[in-house]
Amino acid sequence: MTLERLNIETPNASGSQIVLTDLCYSVDGKGILQGITLKTSAPRIGIVGRNGSGKSTLARILAGLIEPTSGSALVNGHNLAKDRKAALAEVGILFQNPDHQIIFPTVLEEVSFGLRQLGQAKKTAEENARKTLDAFGKAHWADAYVNNLSQGQKHLVCLMAVVAMQPRMIILDEPYSGLDIPTKHQLTRYLSRYQGALLHITHDPSDLSGYDDVVWLEQGAVEQSGAADVVIPAYVAQMNTLGGSDDISDLSH
Amino acid sequence: MEKNVALIALFAALIAALGLIPKITLGFGVPITAQSLGVMLCGTILGSKRGALAVLLFLLLVAIGLPLLSGGRGGLGVFVSPSAGFLIGWPFAAFVTGWIVENWRSAPLTLVAGVASIIGGIFLMYAFGIVGLSVSLDKTLIEAAGLVSAFVLGDVIKAGIAGMLTAALAKARPASVLSRADVI
Amino acid sequence: MISLTSPTKTWAHSWPAGAKLAGLCIATLGLFFLQSVPVHAAVFAVVLGLYALPGRAFFVSGLRKLQLLWPFILIVAIWHVWSGQMAEGAAVILRLMSAVALANLVTMTTRLTDMIDVVRFLARPFARFGLRSDILELAIALVIRLTPVLIQKGNLLSQAWRARSRRRAGWRIILPFTILALDDADQVAEALRARGGFNT
Repeated sequence: MTLERLNIETPNASGSQIVLTDLCYSVDGKGILQGITLKTSAPRIGIVGRNGSGKSTLARILAGLIEPTSGSALVNGHNLAKDRKAALAEVGILFQNPDHQIIFPTVLEEVSFGLRQLGQAKKTAEENARKTLDAFGKAHWADAYVNNLSQGQKHLVCLMAVVAMQPRMIILDEPYSGLDIPTKHQLTRYLSRYQGALLHITHDPSDLSGYDDVVWLEQGAVEQSGAADVVIPAYVAQMNTLGGSDDISDLSH
Repeated sequence: MEKNVALIALFAALIAALGLIPKITLGFGVPITAQSLGVMLCGTILGSKRGALAVLLFLLLVAIGLPLLSGGRGGLGVFVSPSAGFLIGWPFAAFVTGWIVENWRSAPLTLVAGVASIIGGIFLMYAFGIVGLSVSLDKTLIEAAGLVSAFVLGDVIKAGIAGMLTAALAKARPASVLSRADVI
Repeated sequence: MISLTSPTKTWAHSWPAGAKLAGLCIATLGLFFLQSVPVHAAVFAVVLGLYALPGRAFFVSGLRKLQLLWPFILIVAIWHVWSGQMAEGAAVILRLMSAVALANLVTMTTRLTDMIDVVRFLARPFARFGLRSDILELAIALVIRLTPVLIQKGNLLSQAWRARSRRRAGWRIILPFTILALDDADQVAEALRARGGFNT
């Protein structure tokens, strides 16, 4: 992790092999994901779709937190729902709301947690946590109380906690919700330096500039997938069209 | 006033939620239900009066037919079952626990909250529970006490956790530990 | 938040809740004065009959609620078989099942709104001690509304733990969980004030 790089694109970032085969997920009889088949190993992947299209569920399946109802999801050949050990090494995930993610009262404890869960001794974990804080230029945050941080700062703590574990891919589930523009830009900059793969889930395509592949989910199925500069314009056009309709009135889902 | 009502309602919801989220482990792989821990926390965090009211509100909701006890239990049946004594003891446990935390200021909060949880959440609660058990199962108090003795260790650990959580909360959000607020 | 009232409509659903509750108190008290096993068995048979009247779904659902008693039944059974006092053991077990089944019968045949009416009625004498029944009803509504929200947040925290650990969530997540509840309380208080508060 070098601090000097300021470009959005990170030419040396490596992708993870993601293979989804006829992936289905339903809960209580309600189908959330239907028959998703996908193959990609781009270093920067985006997933777009409306709220309720199944993006967050897909994120959790890719992180191995939920098991698919049928079909398979493999990351670098691993079934992460079954192999939690591989999961921690392959994937880190950043959720929407840092208040629903941060468990410990101080920054250092929060960042060290994952390292201890990886098996590191308390001292080693703390040293490595401090190294991560250093790499982000936040060594002075170590003993800060999370509750006194701003929303953007809390997002950064979550990111550091995940980065410290050095997973091969970080999944971002709408990480910019509720952030102001400067904070968004600053977080994007930190994210862009990550040498592993990024899988960014969002309903706002402007978050995905410079990304390689984009998958567009519509009501749990893949509407379109491919190069970012092909899928995103199509997605934006459709979203604008839907803006002219009134499907907000619909109670059927 | 609105703040009090909101706090009491939310801590009643907290007790319910602690019974309904997937079981938390104690640390060496033993799953516990955190619900009685929630009762202790009502006392240590909200203090005696608000804590007891939160527990009473919770029990009222169970009585009118909501499945808020761990395992999705609820309704009037649980108040005539053998464990009814424990339930009846909960608001008293929260009150005594809160009272101790409010008035014993000369020791570190972890210790005070932990001991308060043992006195309120174990001694007092088990007293009620054992009486209820003995009436319901037609056993002597000693026999009833013997039946529940296996659970005491788990509850002592919960009391220790309550102590640690209360102290951690006091450091992270000092103003929210109302049992130690100077203005009630 | 779905209550435990049975969806199967029965003759008892329309009886006044207060009367049912009063009857339940008397019946439960009465059960504790009965001693002999045959009488207890007869009472339990009647209770089972009451459960069977509305149909199979009601009967099955009602019996399932008795499952919470099995550890106690087991303990009493073993105890009394071992001590040779089988009759006393049978009486205790039957009494237990009858009491819990009758109480659950009231719960299953009484709508939540009817129960809250009873609560309002019972709260009246406490008004002199400062208990306002409108605030009590609001508090009940708040808990019903907020429990699922809090549970969802608890699940998110559990998930966030499992995203970084192979083990299930430990007791430590109760700290952020409590903080979320406290924050929710602040927001609810604000919302209440914004809508006029309690005029006190």
